[in-house]
Amino acid sequence: MKTLAVVITILFLLHLLNSITFSQTKQTISGIVKNGETGEALIGAAVVVKELSGVGVVSNAYGFYSLTLPRETYTILVQYLGFKTKIFSLLLDKDQIVNFELTPEPIKVGEVVVSGERTNANVTSTEVSAEKLEIDEIKSIPVLLGEKDILKTIQLLPGVQSAGEGGTGFYARGGGIDQNLIVLDEAPVYNSSHLLGFLSVFNSDAIKDVKVITGGIPAEYGGRLSSVLDIRTNDGNDKEFGGTGGIGLLSSRLTLEGPIVRDEGSFIVSGRRTYADLFLKLSKDTLINRASLYFYDLNAKANYSLGQKDRMFISGYFGRDNFNYPGTFGFNWGNTTGTLRWNHIFGDHLFSNTSFIISDYGYSNVVGSGTSEFQITSGIRDLNFKMDFQYFTNSQSTIKFGVNSVYHTFLPGTVTAGSTSFTNSLTIENRYALESAAYFSHELDIVSGFKLNYGLRYSLFSLLGPGHIFSYDESGAAVDTATYRSRDFIKTYTNLEPRISANVLLNETSSIKASYTRTTQYLHLLSNSTTSNPSDLWVPSSNNVKPQLADQYDVGYFRNFNDNQFEASFELYYKNMQNLIDYKNGADFLLNQNVEALLLYGRGWSYGAEMLVRKKFGQVTGWVGYTLSKTEEQFDQINNGLAFPARQDRTHDISVVVIYDYNSVWNFSASWVYNTGNAVTFPSGGYWLQAENRWIPLYTERNGYRMPAYHRLDLSATWKLGPRSNLNFSLYNAYDRMNAYSINFRQDPNNLDKTQAVQTTFFPIIPSVTYNFNF
Amino acid sequence: MKTKRNLLLRTIFVLTFFSTVWFLYGCQQVVSIDLNTANPRIVVEGNIKDQPGPYSVFLSMTGSYFDTTLATPPVSHAQVVITDNLGNRDTLKEVISGTYQSSTLLGVSGRTYMLSVKADGKEYIATSSMPTKVFIDSLYALPRHGFGGESGYDIYVTFKDPPELGNYYRINARSSTVIPADSIDGRRYRLFTDKLTNGNEMTERIRAGRNVNVGDTITIELCSIDKASYDYFNTLSDILSSDRSPTSLAPENPNSNISSDALGYFAAYTIDSKQIVLR
Repeated sequence: MKTLAVVITILFLLHLLNSITFSQTKQTISGIVKNGETGEALIGAAVVVKELSGVGVVSNAYGFYSLTLPRETYTILVQYLGFKTKIFSLLLDKDQIVNFELTPEPIKVGEVVVSGERTNANVTSTEVSAEKLEIDEIKSIPVLLGEKDILKTIQLLPGVQSAGEGGTGFYARGGGIDQNLIVLDEAPVYNSSHLLGFLSVFNSDAIKDVKVITGGIPAEYGGRLSSVLDIRTNDGNDKEFGGTGGIGLLSSRLTLEGPIVRDEGSFIVSGRRTYADLFLKLSKDTLINRASLYFYDLNAKANYSLGQKDRMFISGYFGRDNFNYPGTFGFNWGNTTGTLRWNHIFGDHLFSNTSFIISDYGYSNVVGSGTSEFQITSGIRDLNFKMDFQYFTNSQSTIKFGVNSVYHTFLPGTVTAGSTSFTNSLTIENRYALESAAYFSHELDIVSGFKLNYGLRYSLFSLLGPGHIFSYDESGAAVDTATYRSRDFIKTYTNLEPRISANVLLNETSSIKASYTRTTQYLHLLSNSTTSNPSDLWVPSSNNVKPQLADQYDVGYFRNFNDNQFEASFELYYKNMQNLIDYKNGADFLLNQNVEALLLYGRGWSYGAEMLVRKKFGQVTGWVGYTLSKTEEQFDQINNGLAFPARQDRTHDISVVVIYDYNSVWNFSASWVYNTGNAVTFPSGGYWLQAENRWIPLYTERNGYRMPAYHRLDLSATWKLGPRSNLNFSLYNAYDRMNAYSINFRQDPNNLDKTQAVQTTFFPIIPSVTYNFNF
Repeated sequence: MKTKRNLLLRTIFVLTFFSTVWFLYGCQQVVSIDLNTANPRIVVEGNIKDQPGPYSVFLSMTGSYFDTTLATPPVSHAQVVITDNLGNRDTLKEVISGTYQSSTLLGVSGRTYMLSVKADGKEYIATSSMPTKVFIDSLYALPRHGFGGESGYDIYVTFKDPPELGNYYRINARSSTVIPADSIDGRRYRLFTDKLTNGNEMTERIRAGRNVNVGDTITIELCSIDKASYDYFNTLSDILSSDRSPTSLAPENPNSNISSDALGYFAAYTIDSKQIVLR
């Protein structure tokens, strides 16, 4: 309630400020920008004033815009990539609400398509290191087995690196795999992978907008150190019923959408399931045909407008992976998120969104059978309340502010023994935490050509009771236990996180941008693997574990060429990270009351140069990205305290993406990636161990070696069978490069007196085909 | 036109299905890698069992990983002494180069042993306590039908875990027809603890597959080991290539209980063994 009072006070002051300064001389035009065919709100559409160069706003995540101008007659241009530009003449003599509906641009063959957003938004905005991917681009770019995937496509952008071939895990600017804030309709997703990391949980048919931010993270985002991946799902067509679907090698998907009340409300339901296990049913072996191996996910969303000023959204994600082999093991895991949102527009200037979010990740693992059977369950649950405001002061100034509070419940693990099992039941104590934040940011044109976005996030994290809290000595032995009751505050951390970025416009087509951000991360992922695993454990900051902190500095030169057809950028960054976590040798996090005793703390730093040239429209589109970077870490107890390259340290990282709309029947695309091999630990000696009767590797330097360089070409062709269906053919690793997935050292099985290094390649050339349709 | 397209679709589908199956198996090749050679370090291996001695301590130095002989140089002329908590002291004699043997020492459950090795002007020290002995209650074998028609035997070992938490076990399984260096289930031994089974009647299953036949005699040894030995062998198994997954964390040398940066272990443990003939 206190926060609400603060919010109301701020609102009041803003209104006051506005009425004093502007209302006498200026009027406001506001409204929603939509896709005229489907009614989907368009995110990031430019609403610009033709008469006033450089004056305009960009629609927000709900399509809302507000523009305050002196009383005058204007020509308003509304532009969005792939849509016809809307030209609207306006006599702005009073405040008015205008909703724009843009019509998609049919792509014509053999001519340069003149399309919307031929703007220089990337040059003029204060956003640094933020890239938006069009969903059509994601659908065109070839990926493994033809399964289009956002998380794989973003790995082709500079500053974002794949954490493992074929996988969905990624590193942002030298940050760890757990340092990415992945939000789906504002709900954090704790485990973003299906099928042990080969596919992400995001079904691209359900997705409207994807934004990746690796530098200059705005104040409204918090809780992770290195990046933000903000994913927004479709609202559903509010004009007519329709559907899309696809049949692929691994999975099939179907989306249905339509109006609840035409132009006022709509729904969308999108589902996906793999069916490899259906082949298992054909087996005569009763064990095999009872086995299961699948995942599914379901996105559902509905929205309804309550007049011009209010809109409600309810959305949910449900996904589950299931591996089950009767009598031996069963493993299933999944995320559930639910979001209830309310958009409300106060006056013409102030947009608000209030969200209640639940987020749940969990897994269950059944091991053994009969007397040895037991089940392990573990997970994390969030209850999340969020209020965000966006105040369009005038065409030169926008203020954002908000509050967020999350109640986390950590369920580290419970063992339930089978009825005849000799295993004991065991529960590792739950942990509870409250993570809150308040933020504000102000984007301001200080003088023409100089824009500043300054903001501050105040974050607060408390570990709450009940619980038995241990303290540990140097060796990791528990030296003290304190008992806390329910709602006791065990340990509280607070942090001020400044977020500043500035843009100096050199001319219409070029600018220099700089940013500084501090980010804090209170939740930590413990994993026995370098990729994300279903059984990874999220743990809160505590009396033993400090929050991770990062400071990042970024400066970049942005330039557009050829009437904004080409966007180019060159950026330098330096990131310093504190309180990073690594593990003692042999650390086992499963069902361990004392996981905090297994942790080591250190620091890390990453710096680099990133270049991107991107062609946004035309018959040929795509980009070339190059990153030169270095990432190191230092832990007192690792590598004799000397700094060592982080696993994600990649000196060179290149990606080239080309999409070619050949004609109305064929569309081609290709992507090529090259990167320096991962930093890895190889043996620097060996010795004979009598107990093993084997040659044992000796390790002396952490990550002192390199995997061979990785490169790969993927090709894809889409054949439009008609207006409502297409076939997509893709070729993964087209020149069949034998990339090293791993290199292991062993005694030669054919001659035990010799040792050898063996490289494993997982993904040679792989063709695939997908059939897509809509109705 | 339509049938042609259908045929094309089917062909593509079949091709891609098979290629999917193919890629899942991966492909391995021997590659040449340049490795550094670290400064030699001492490797100490010492065992004391609750069975009559002599007990051996092996001393050697590390070499390069791609060593041509896979035989590391033994450490001779070291002073190797084992004492126990009752004050018994035994100076081990070097019987062959790098191998030192006890003469009077007795391995008794409940005693703590201390090893001292003096070599090249340095002293290496380790202690190990011999745990309470746990006996095998029964041993039986059942034929198994596994995934994809794989056959073999499941061998079950039953025993009673002592009431207090913190028992560490190692089971060695050998077949009469298999060379001793190899184990019947492809692993030389199995390690486990009573973390989830404290105080219970336990049944451990050993999967015997490719190496066993009807008529073989299977020997099962149930060893009670101390925590330090468990940690050593557990972290050792993490770095042995057959157990390493491509996504494993950075490998490290096993957690040793020997001081002064030596490699290896010193372990006092009990053994109970039983045999069974497969039918």
